[in-house]
Amino acid sequence: MAKMGKTSLWRNLWESCLLILAAGCVQPPEVPPRAIQLHQKWGLQPGSEVAGFKISGGLGDISIELSGKSVRAPFDGKVQPNQADCVVFSSSEVPAYLFRLCGLKRPQLGDLQAGDVIGSGQALQFAALRRQPDGSWAIVEPAVDLLERTIRQQ
Amino acid sequence: MSHYHHYQKPTRYRSVYTSPTPGEQSDGRWMYRQPLPPIRRKRRRGSAKLLLAGGSMLALATILVNPNQSQPMKPAVDICQKRVETTSVLSRAQLSQLLSVPERSAKEAVRKIVEAPYCILQPLEIRAGAEAQREAYPLAFDPQTWFVVLYENEEYAGYDFSFRH
Repeated sequence: MAKMGKTSLWRNLWESCLLILAAGCVQPPEVPPRAIQLHQKWGLQPGSEVAGFKISGGLGDISIELSGKSVRAPFDGKVQPNQADCVVFSSSEVPAYLFRLCGLKRPQLGDLQAGDVIGSGQALQFAALRRQPDGSWAIVEPAVDLLERTIRQQ
Repeated sequence: MSHYHHYQKPTRYRSVYTSPTPGEQSDGRWMYRQPLPPIRRKRRRGSAKLLLAGGSMLALATILVNPNQSQPMKPAVDICQKRVETTSVLSRAQLSQLLSVPERSAKEAVRKIVEAPYCILQPLEIRAGAEAQREAYPLAFDPQTWFVVLYENEEYAGYDFSFRH
């Protein structure tokens, strides 16, 4: 009985180690979501539904046919979840701006370096948001250079 | 569970049968697998400990190299394109004044509070038709943190804090 007990102890210890290892490897870093208060108040937004169909883009989104290609971080920055299948990219090097990217499958959340892959998808809905004095974010037309940094394949 | 018992029982029986020495029955796990002379069994017990220690070290290493926790340890990044005034820093009073400047104010409103920046970053275009100028000021009381200001068309657009410098 004592021998059996010791065997189980070893086994349990070993299994605990493996579990800790697995948890360390599989557990993704916890990234808090970022809500954005838009300056332009449109009812229909990405994530809204009409007659049971999901809205994937709306006011100011630039729709890009990615065809499964990658989207990259245009600067060093951070990716945070937003509503529906959208993420928000922010960079301390680019104050007063946020970038909303919708339509990416399994996006990489957290801190990224410029050029790191954020995700990929069939169609990307890209919105550039500029901070307003009241703290809201206005959708503005993104520069082509910015879009190139984001979707250029390396 | 049934598989466990099926596997365990016959081998335990074998080990007790082949090595009846009482002092060696303490480590059942390795005995049932292969009944060996005492000296070999001692080594195996040692290797089990080694394996456990190795596993623990590996677990520790995994925690240490976890991407979530290794981020703050990234090396400093030079974001400057051109150094302007290498002694330029922001005092607490200046920072407090800067934070009260509303976005869309003229660039002069900011420049009344602070002089030339420590450095300027590469100009770029974020919004179509508007070139963004970015300037950086290290905080006097925390030089690793920089206050980055963005102007567009001589207008103050906003700020952010950039760390790890």
